[in-house]
Amino acid sequence: MAVMAAPENTPVWVNTDRCKACDICVDACPAGVLSMRPDPHSTLGANIEIVAVEACIGCNECELSCPDFAIYVAEKSEFKFAKLTDSAKARQEAIEKNGYRLPEDWKEA
Amino acid sequence: MAFNYDDYLRLEKMPTLWCWGCGDGIVLKAFVRAVDKLQIPKDDICVVSGIGCSGRFSSYVDFNTIHTTHGRTPAYATGVKLANPDKTVVCVTGDGDALAIGGNHTIHAARRNIDITFIVIQNFIYGLTNSQTSPTTPQGMWTVTQKIGNIDPTFDACKLAEAAGASFVARESVTKPKKLEKIFVEALKHKGFAYVDALTNCHINLGRKNKMVSAMETLDWIDSITTPKSKWDKMSEEERLNLLPTGILKQDTEAAEYTDMYYNMIIPAHQGKRAKITQDDFEKKI
Repeated sequence: MAVMAAPENTPVWVNTDRCKACDICVDACPAGVLSMRPDPHSTLGANIEIVAVEACIGCNECELSCPDFAIYVAEKSEFKFAKLTDSAKARQEAIEKNGYRLPEDWKEA
Repeated sequence: MAFNYDDYLRLEKMPTLWCWGCGDGIVLKAFVRAVDKLQIPKDDICVVSGIGCSGRFSSYVDFNTIHTTHGRTPAYATGVKLANPDKTVVCVTGDGDALAIGGNHTIHAARRNIDITFIVIQNFIYGLTNSQTSPTTPQGMWTVTQKIGNIDPTFDACKLAEAAGASFVARESVTKPKKLEKIFVEALKHKGFAYVDALTNCHINLGRKNKMVSAMETLDWIDSITTPKSKWDKMSEEERLNLLPTGILKQDTEAAEYTDMYYNMIIPAHQGKRAKITQDDFEKKI
């Protein structure tokens, strides 16, 4: 099986060179782990960023729905993922409302 | 550990030429995962693709690949399969490629029930050539050739494949990548013509002028026109209007496969014998 080593203690990591800023992963994440950050060097003026790595629940939706092979999620057997909390859900909603970018004045509840 | 897609990709061709958010990449990913799940060696699989955005598919996967002429993928794939009956042959085409210009090739490959996995990446439009009406464009939508709304009735490609004689027919959208992967696994395992309809988004050429500007809006629309087969079976005729069932729609493991039939005939013929046709065989054919 084709496997790659994961960075230590990281549930989800990204390859920003491949990201085309289509927002699909940010939309797919239920826990507000991912968001887009402004990037003047990118075609669409944005690039992927992990804003809350500790909130990842390991559902793998972002990895499977990324069309450009830019996101990787650790195996469930290897990493203890977080549970879906209300604050994570609230962050996700705020990101979606703000055009898939984390609001600048965002504070954890 | 995580799944390493790079083992199956031609990295010098990356990033893909597809637009941002194009579902073709999700289909590619699901296909690579399915191949990995079945542990098919990279040298034992041949991907044949035609012309269109879907035609780029063969450039990115590190298998044996052929990028062929418009609509003629089943013809090339039939040749590859008959010459190499022990290899896995996969066709990747688009809706314009497989159903418009190559419609004839598609139905005759399905009729022969040859062991090919036939993936149709359906984005409801001619994406590569900029928004001309395709056989699956929904009625009323803007296209560059029908600017006040498409009036052509749409094609139900799965029904076509089923009627033409394909022994495996399935449909899934890229909004359910896990299910899509499972369907690819089943299709690759199936011996016979496996038709898979992969519904994808083209927010650039279909969505842009039809009020679905982003990838998510087009994916939401695809979600709204599809329903799982289990739900579909319980629906009344009225509820089924404008909905497409997803999942495995037909699976017939009994049907005779073309490569087997060909070799059963050709090996005795090479030895100067002729396979005898009995009365039973004759009756079966009718």
